[in-house]
Amino acid sequence: MPLTFIEIEKQKTWRIGVFYFILVGLYFFTMFAFVQGFLFIFPYNYLKTGSFFIWHYPGALVTVTAIAVVLAGVHFWFSASGASDTVMTSLGAANPDPEDGVHRQLRNVVDEIHVVTGRTKKIDCMVIPSLSLNAIAVEDLNGHAVIGITEGLLSRLTRPQLEAVLAHEAYHILSNDCIQATVATSLFGMYAAMLEKIQDFGDEERGRGLHPVFFLFWTLTKLGQMLNLFISREREYRADAASVRMTRDPVAMAEALYFLSRNWRSTGLVGSGLEMLCIANPEESEQEEDEGFWQNLMSTHPPIMKRIDILLSMAHADISILNKDAAAATGTIKAGNQDDRYYLMDPHSRWQGPYSPGELASLSWLSPVTWTRTSHGRTVRRASEDSLIHDLLAERVNKMDGKSSSLACPLCRQPLARITYEKTHIDQCRFCGGSLIENDKIPRIVARREEVCTERVKSLARAVLTDNQRKISLRKIKGGPHDASHPVYCPKCGHPMFRTFYSLAYLIEIDRCGICGLTWFDQDELEMLQCVIENKIAADL
Amino acid sequence: MTIWIAVGIFVLILSWIIFTYNSLVFYKNEVQNAWKQIDVQLKRRHDLIPNMVSVVKGYMAYERDILERVISARAMALSSSGVRARAACESQLTQALQGLFAVMENYPVLKSVESVMELQEELKSTENKIAFSRQFYNDLVANLRTKIEVFPNNIIAGLFGFGKAEYYSAEEDDRLRPPAQTVNRP
Repeated sequence: MPLTFIEIEKQKTWRIGVFYFILVGLYFFTMFAFVQGFLFIFPYNYLKTGSFFIWHYPGALVTVTAIAVVLAGVHFWFSASGASDTVMTSLGAANPDPEDGVHRQLRNVVDEIHVVTGRTKKIDCMVIPSLSLNAIAVEDLNGHAVIGITEGLLSRLTRPQLEAVLAHEAYHILSNDCIQATVATSLFGMYAAMLEKIQDFGDEERGRGLHPVFFLFWTLTKLGQMLNLFISREREYRADAASVRMTRDPVAMAEALYFLSRNWRSTGLVGSGLEMLCIANPEESEQEEDEGFWQNLMSTHPPIMKRIDILLSMAHADISILNKDAAAATGTIKAGNQDDRYYLMDPHSRWQGPYSPGELASLSWLSPVTWTRTSHGRTVRRASEDSLIHDLLAERVNKMDGKSSSLACPLCRQPLARITYEKTHIDQCRFCGGSLIENDKIPRIVARREEVCTERVKSLARAVLTDNQRKISLRKIKGGPHDASHPVYCPKCGHPMFRTFYSLAYLIEIDRCGICGLTWFDQDELEMLQCVIENKIAADL
Repeated sequence: MTIWIAVGIFVLILSWIIFTYNSLVFYKNEVQNAWKQIDVQLKRRHDLIPNMVSVVKGYMAYERDILERVISARAMALSSSGVRARAACESQLTQALQGLFAVMENYPVLKSVESVMELQEELKSTENKIAFSRQFYNDLVANLRTKIEVFPNNIIAGLFGFGKAEYYSAEEDDRLRPPAQTVNRP
């Protein structure tokens, strides 16, 4: 037994063997029923030997067994050998982007986890483009281990918290928890989705019939659910403990869990059956938070509050420090106070105002030499002398100061600037303020909250949402045509982009190119979209 | 008959000696390997520091003494040898770097310079890796020490001259400093 930092438990691969035999049994009974039915329907053999039953035909019995073993083998091989990739593809996960600040940090943290475990096993990491908060670890029979983490979680955790979460997942992989769960999921879990489809089909055509395929899938699904029996809740406690042992920071792990417990954790999976691979159960249920014989038996995750309690007792702390930290975190966001109002002299030498700092940021004629006056101060001075306006201007310069991109703005025909926004690279027009973004970057921009949403954008977003909602409703009632405004042409391929809503839940209009996978946001549209999702703004009608 | 029993006992003892010796060699090599891992990370830190200093220098002209402290600590660490001396010098360097990071917080302009942020992230990651590989190394050393000191093994270890490995000890000042995360004790 090689010596490693964490005491790896005894290999539990025998359970994978059990899965195989369950499959063999299942195929055997299916084949058995099939052949038996055949014997009843065509009594040719009966005339010869005087028996209806299969066990009077040793040859047939051997054939059935052989076919069952082979079928189960094929099934097992196909679903278990490349399972990591299958699961990750179904979640739409992608490798971390080396140009992206946050993703670079993720990569570094994974490297650190390798160091702390003594480089026992290579672990890949991938990013799931979802706003929900969850992390998942998978490993297949080829030994390919991957930790997937959602953009949402990645953008919200601090570095120590991220380390704790990844260490937790790495323990699952090193202790072979994952390989069992992944194999189980790929063997049985994926059938839940198929089963639902078959049920839908049956309802429409001729009522609910008991099709043999239906029966097979139903059994597989039930078996998959029964696999929870194998998976002890204890292992989550163990993984938490191992994570603390690696990072020596129980508070960070507790904070991460506390954070997970108060937010949306569904990873948006198609079928069920993947929940046992996640850090916190995506489906919140009452059973999950209870403890009893049955609950312990059937659920995959222990109560999250109990996990937090254990972690906090390691740090000799209580729950109040988490609440305090949470309050402090929200406090910093609101700290950008808006009580100062500004009056400015516009290019026509007229005093304009009052403006809030948020509104100032969007004034196109504001320059360092503009005369300004605050609402309660009497002195008039240049804009550059006011520290707040100075910062605003500096930020504007920083934004402009980027490398030129090879693409041109579809509206102004000027080269776009490559800038860093929310720690990732986007192309922005210096003149009209529109931005061109690759589709796969949108979720991570939306998930991150570095840029503070100003009052101006908030009210604008509210107005736009209301307007768009009204438009949609009218179109539904009247069935009028799509308003065909002048299209924007994709800067890359030159084809017209289609104007659409980001989604029906977030009615912000954007322009998409169906060929290049690029999206054009007019000025403020990106900020509005972020603001709408972050603050859960709804249209008021 | 008795001769066979004697031979049997002799073979048993011999195989026990071989087994213990081999396992001790295994643990010793693990410890050496872990030390090499720390070395790799320390080297990476030494490589990163000149870049960091040269990038930051332009922005922090008034903080020359802090930058010089980092540079001299690096030079000291480069020239040291042996686990204990190395650990002491490297802890000096860690402290000098922490001082630099703290001062950098006072220069918000640095936050918008991408190369500085990248280097800072790299250095932070390397710092963590050093801490983690030290932790891993010390765990292995503890393991080796236990193996050498427990009863029957200490005979073999004494016989073949297995020395105790040294801990990569945490710096003295670390224990005096308050913990980074202050927690309320109930």
